Amino acid sequence: MVWAVTTPAPELKVHLDGDFLRVSALHLNFISGKTLERLKDGVSIAFVGQISVSSEPNSVVSEARSVARFALSYDIWEEKFSVTKIGDRPESRRSSASHLSAQATENWCLDNLTLDRSALPADRPFYVQLDLRAEDPQDQLGIVGEAGISITRLIDLFSRPPKASQLHWNLRNGPYRVADLKKASHG
Amino acid sequence: MFSQPQVDVAFSNVIIALAAGTRRAKANAMQAPGLSSLLLLFTLTSFSNAYSADQELFRAAAESNVNQRYTIESVSIAGMRADQAKLPAHLRSRLAALIGSHCDVAALDDLAVDLRKELHLRAVSQRLLKGSGPDRVRVDFEVVRKAIDVSVPRFLFHSRQGVTGEVDASSHVGQSTFTVGAVSNGDNLVERFTGILARYEDTKVGSDKVRFGVSFEDYHEQWNVQTRDAIPADSELSLYRARTNVAPEFTFALARPLTVSFGASFEHMDPENRGEPNRMANAVTGEVRYGHKLEDDALQQSIDARYNFRAGTRGLGSDYSYSRHLVSFRYEIKSGRQTASDELTAGSVAGQSPLFERFVLGSDSTLRGWDRYAIDPVGGNRMVHNSMTYGYQFGERTAEVFYDSGALWNSGRSAQVRHSVGASYRQGIFVLTAAFPIVEGRICPVFMAGMNY
Repeated sequence: MVWAVTTPAPELKVHLDGDFLRVSALHLNFISGKTLERLKDGVSIAFVGQISVSSEPNSVVSEARSVARFALSYDIWEEKFSVTKIGDRPESRRSSASHLSAQATENWCLDNLTLDRSALPADRPFYVQLDLRAEDPQDQLGIVGEAGISITRLIDLFSRPPKASQLHWNLRNGPYRVADLKKASHG
Repeated sequence: MFSQPQVDVAFSNVIIALAAGTRRAKANAMQAPGLSSLLLLFTLTSFSNAYSADQELFRAAAESNVNQRYTIESVSIAGMRADQAKLPAHLRSRLAALIGSHCDVAALDDLAVDLRKELHLRAVSQRLLKGSGPDRVRVDFEVVRKAIDVSVPRFLFHSRQGVTGEVDASSHVGQSTFTVGAVSNGDNLVERFTGILARYEDTKVGSDKVRFGVSFEDYHEQWNVQTRDAIPADSELSLYRARTNVAPEFTFALARPLTVSFGASFEHMDPENRGEPNRMANAVTGEVRYGHKLEDDALQQSIDARYNFRAGTRGLGSDYSYSRHLVSFRYEIKSGRQTASDELTAGSVAGQSPLFERFVLGSDSTLRGWDRYAIDPVGGNRMVHNSMTYGYQFGERTAEVFYDSGALWNSGRSAQVRHSVGASYRQGIFVLTAAFPIVEGRICPVFMAGMNY
């Protein structure tokens, strides 16, 4: 007899919270695997998240979008995670949280990735897409260095299997209507 | 819908920059030398600009690392204590300076990058480990050696001499290194030589103070019309269309700053005129090198002195009998943002030598601004040159001014000393140079754009 244990597929959920569209994604464990290993080595990992809205389910053109960047680290003594939302400019105000579990850290990132409600199409259905990408400095170091443009690194970058090259999660769901989301948020 | 993980090239600034650079290079055909140099530099620097945008994100991430409050109690490389590892002195001192300080993750990232670059490693990544107390951490730099290293270490566009470039691929197996490469060089010799090279090197022959290497070169030659016109039909100087060289060499590290090399060079030349017999230029070779660095908090000084000789002898079956001597001395001093250096080179050739042994001035580093073929289209057998440079750093950028002076002549004839001045702008590995010969009348400057030059 073979017992198969499968992880449920992550699902994107969308809701309105005041003036913002927020997302949540059950079973999206992006702090795992190589990312988790590197964090437990004490290094920082940057995540770039994007919410985009489009009128077609697989459209490459988004009508509105919002991008946020997060810096994650792991306290090797307390064995807890810390996360900081990094602004677009060095002088931008940063928000952060610490002493978090991996799950709480993932939730904090998604909670801080919002799209302004006014950017949503008021009278048409729309689709929401969440893109999340891990940026490990080790993946990009060395393309340009004192020894010249390293062709080895470029070949490496283009030819490595996707999993080793850059961790990227992509979730989509829809169609949604603002009116329906309003009702759900009031209900 | 869910997909993970996948490559997203649209996200990558680096890849966007690469694509943009390629389009720009194709769309703007080089017309004027000065403009083309600027365009080339712009294209090359766009790589590093896009790259630095990602670095800003990584730096911001490192600066928010929660482990910064801890104190570093020890540093190791691949498990070996940093003070026992074989490292350049400045890297060892930077690693030693970490001990006792707060765990600056951004500084550790920088050090990992510098270790990778200077030690030519595939990857270096740092790990933080719990220290002996709850507020202490240990740092270990894990290293991954390159199995095959392919790079473009040198590239130069010269507004008069065209493009010079070299690409090498190296593979390391234990103490042995195998290198193959391709080169097209119109800068260092009388002729432009284009072809392939291969090299094997064993860095430990019985002792780590003895190295052995053997190199193979196979080049096709191109001659400037001025060189062709300058060689009379009955001259001892004969043109060749191809040459092949095999050169074994032993190097002995007599002391830390002093090395001595001995070897041989077996060079076979195919004459341009197919009716003439092939010729051999076999020589014994040797080099003595002294390199020393003096560093303190305020000043860094470095001295590099070399004496190189090649002696073609009929005892090795050579058709040429000659001796070639070249000495060079370079001194550099750095203080804060300022750098000054002086490099003196002198050489002589006695006897009948092939053209590739003759000296040339008017290259990327000698009498910059001069047309080398106007100085002497067939080179000379006597040469002396001095170059003084002053540089000032602005962050990652450096502005330099230089003054070159030198003379190239043939024995028994008078020497004319020539001078040139110029300025360079360096950003990372890229450089843009404008050089002016000091002559009466119309001055025609030379522009150069290069990488690792």
